[in-house]
Amino acid sequence: MAAPIIELQGITKTYDDGFTALSNINMTIEPGKFYSLLGPSGSGKTTILRLIAGFTNASSGAILFEGQKINDLPANQRKVNTVFQNYALFPHLDVFENVAFGLNLQKRPKAEIKKRVLDALKLVQLPGYANREISELSGGQQQRVAIARAIVNEPKVLLLDEPLSALDMKLRQDMQYELRELQQRLKITFIFVTHDQEEALAMSDEIFVVNDGKILQSGTPVDIYDEPINHFVANFIGESNILPGEMLADYQVEFVGKTFECADAGMKPNEKVEVVLRPEDLDVTTAEQGKLVVTVDTQLFRGDHFEIIGIDDDGNEWLIHSTNPVRGGKHIGLTFEPEDIHVMRFGEKEADFDARLEQYEED
Amino acid sequence: MKQSKRFFMIPYFIWIGLFVIAPLVLILYQSLTNTQHQFTLQNYATYGTSTTYLHMSLNSLWYAFLITAITLLISYPAAYFLSKLKHQQLWLLLIILPTWINLLLKAYAFIGLLSRTGSVNQFLTFVGIGPQQLLFSDASFLLVATYIEIPFMILPIYNAIVELNPALINASRDLGATNWQTFRRVIFPLTISGVKAGVQAVFIPSLSLFMLTRLIGGNRVITLGTAIEEHFMTTMNWGMGSTIGVVLIVMMFIIMALTNDRRKKRREVNDDEEN
Amino acid sequence: MKKIKFSSVYLVLVFIILYIPIFYLIFYSFNQGGNMNHFTGFTWAHYQELFSDKRMLVIVLDTFLIAILSSLFATIIGTFGALGIAGRKSQRTKSALLTLNNVLMVSPDVIIGASFLILFSALGIGLGFGSVLLSHIAFSIPIVVLLVLPKVNELDPALLNAAQDLGATNWQTFSRVIVPYITPGIFSGFFMAFTYSLDDFAVTFFVTGNGFTTLSVEIYSRARQGISLEINALSAVMFLFSLLLVVGYYFVNRYSHSRRQKQRRHAKSEVTLS
Ligand SMILES: Nc1ncnc2c1ncn2[C@@H]1O[C@H](COP(=O)(O)OP(=O)(O)OP(=O)(O)O)[C@@H](O)[C@H]1O
Ligand SMILES: [Mg+2]
Repeated sequence: MAAPIIELQGITKTYDDGFTALSNINMTIEPGKFYSLLGPSGSGKTTILRLIAGFTNASSGAILFEGQKINDLPANQRKVNTVFQNYALFPHLDVFENVAFGLNLQKRPKAEIKKRVLDALKLVQLPGYANREISELSGGQQQRVAIARAIVNEPKVLLLDEPLSALDMKLRQDMQYELRELQQRLKITFIFVTHDQEEALAMSDEIFVVNDGKILQSGTPVDIYDEPINHFVANFIGESNILPGEMLADYQVEFVGKTFECADAGMKPNEKVEVVLRPEDLDVTTAEQGKLVVTVDTQLFRGDHFEIIGIDDDGNEWLIHSTNPVRGGKHIGLTFEPEDIHVMRFGEKEADFDARLEQYEED
Repeated sequence: MKQSKRFFMIPYFIWIGLFVIAPLVLILYQSLTNTQHQFTLQNYATYGTSTTYLHMSLNSLWYAFLITAITLLISYPAAYFLSKLKHQQLWLLLIILPTWINLLLKAYAFIGLLSRTGSVNQFLTFVGIGPQQLLFSDASFLLVATYIEIPFMILPIYNAIVELNPALINASRDLGATNWQTFRRVIFPLTISGVKAGVQAVFIPSLSLFMLTRLIGGNRVITLGTAIEEHFMTTMNWGMGSTIGVVLIVMMFIIMALTNDRRKKRREVNDDEEN
Repeated sequence: MKKIKFSSVYLVLVFIILYIPIFYLIFYSFNQGGNMNHFTGFTWAHYQELFSDKRMLVIVLDTFLIAILSSLFATIIGTFGALGIAGRKSQRTKSALLTLNNVLMVSPDVIIGASFLILFSALGIGLGFGSVLLSHIAFSIPIVVLLVLPKVNELDPALLNAAQDLGATNWQTFSRVIVPYITPGIFSGFFMAFTYSLDDFAVTFFVTGNGFTTLSVEIYSRARQGISLEINALSAVMFLFSLLLVVGYYFVNRYSHSRRQKQRRHAKSEVTLS
């Protein structure tokens, strides 16, 4: 593990009006990786970025940059640059002047500035746009100028606040690739804010899931998708079937009145839990062979899969993704592997969760 | 609906004809007549050749410039600091309130403050400078005119500053700018429209503050406004008064042309269309 | 921390400068001595003098009469003017009308006064109450137009269609949809016109005659004769009056503002519900 480039330790942020936007945030950011802050609107993502960039001060806790505490370092002296939520390009300057802004402040030689700006514009695929006015650019182009303006200063960390949210679907997907590729080429640390879970899953090395001013879970996209820590994360990331259940013993869980073998352990006997089953982990078979039997309610073609909603005898709804449509009988059976069942404890802290997983995955 | 709309607009059009176009035409016409109501270019010839009039015009411009410059110097920081306060609406109201006090009353206050035995002279005596002739001087005219115009300069600048997107200031700091650099490279250029509006609101009236020149400047300061008033109300030479009026109108157009921001205008139009 | 200090000191200084002359006037209005130099003792005498000065009271009444009448007329004419300008299809006509509208806004008072004087004498209109009233209406109209126009432009055409769709006649559309919507603009227009009229000196100075005067003109001629503490008393009264107006305006604005916000919030919740 490389030495962290940024660390947030026990950060709490209370705004002047008394509203606590962040409470006890701990984050470790390693150099050269792509991080996402994922959470619903108002969860505090922008506030975290503003703290790192230095636009606002933490109420308590420490912010470290390469091991040095930078709580009191003004924004203009921090080696991070930001791509703002609505780009914040200077309307009175043209594209070149916008990108050159930081270099001009550093009083670089004219020739160097020119070369670096043009290189940066080439990098974001806007060569030839240097003399355009900002008002003459499309949203996607403005977004690239904002990125060029930030990376031309060669920051160690680039903060991006929902840079793609204003773009249409197609452009958004193109930009996701471009950004990811850019990050890998420049080897700059990216901290990318989004409320779009697909975007976060597709782009990141690591995701922090934020809600209500707290970090609920952090980890690789696969970890978070496969092992969500609680109801909120399971629901927010991907689609899922979440059911109340009871842990009868290690590796044995009961839900919808039946007992199943599972891969989770380390809980109290008969502890009430929640069980997650992802729709794509459910396989359709005949009613006789299924571990569960449901009645098909609706079936929709989604392009690459069929989305089936079934209802079991207790009235629970089941969401199933299947490559083939259900034909014939309305009663179908569902099967799944023990490791497809993911058990979540109520109110478990991330540290305890990680420790428990580690312990039981070893044996 | 169309018909009735036309009907209700009649008074407005009468107003435009009678009180906007006619007066402009009449003042131009009047400037081309002499006291015997004969057509003549004499007034313009007099204006162009007389050093008194030229001197007076330059003088007037110079004072208007000074008033505008001093007002701007005082108002910009005030507007800027104001935009950083809490309860801005209230403070703004306190800036506006003095503009609602009759201008003559404010001038009258200064007659008291600046008179030979007035409070300012008492203070000067107290600190050992001794009483000075303050009233009826260029400086007192400048002081009072500036005092009166300050709120009219603060308001448009303040409006421009609060319209500024705060993310731009963060962006500038993010890119390494100090407070001063942020001000010079981002805040000031983006609020220049407010400055221009303020200059318009102050410069043009400053050319014609005849009551102040009379009450405060003694008759030492003669502006275009004073001359017009004199020709119309005292010497009854309306032709010459109108000529100076036309000159004033021309100056006004020049100022407007200089301070109207084409590029900004175009942007605003674009914005409107987008919305 | 130091910077905050400097800015507050600066602002406090500006506010002090703005208010010193005003409070200076008010302070000496209670002075027993007859001048604005030495405060010798407290008295209400100048107020008594003011309120028993018949001439002054007539002038005050005249001034208010002119202000109310002129702002009323200007509001009506200006509101229809704004509706008319907004209703123009061609952008060119619109901006031409707006330019004409703004001529009096940007002209120096002396020019307005002098040219109106020429106009009245050309039309054979005698100088006095009538000429002053006409002038005040004339210079107040453009400000009303400028304050009403944005509200009219904000008016969503779909709103008018909706009203007609629901069976409203033209008149009903006008009185029940358009007018209520632009009312805040009309109010501020009236208000501004009122204060413009109260405040005017230069135009009135040119076009008045026959012994008719307004407060500003009266103060001017008295101030030219020197100090009279009756004027101080008058300014104290006027200051109080302005204060009331400002506070009133503030609350009217706040009220319409909060109402608008409420409406907006309402609209928002509807959107999210649907
Ligand atoms: N200056 C402020 N004063 C008071 N509260 C604030 C301030 N800025 C943000 N907040 C509050 O802090 C919370 C977190 O805001 P933040 O902008 O960090 O959310 P976010 O996760 O970026 O949301 P979004 O996805 O909508 O951008 C919100 O509830 C917001 O209302
Ligand atoms: Mg945000």
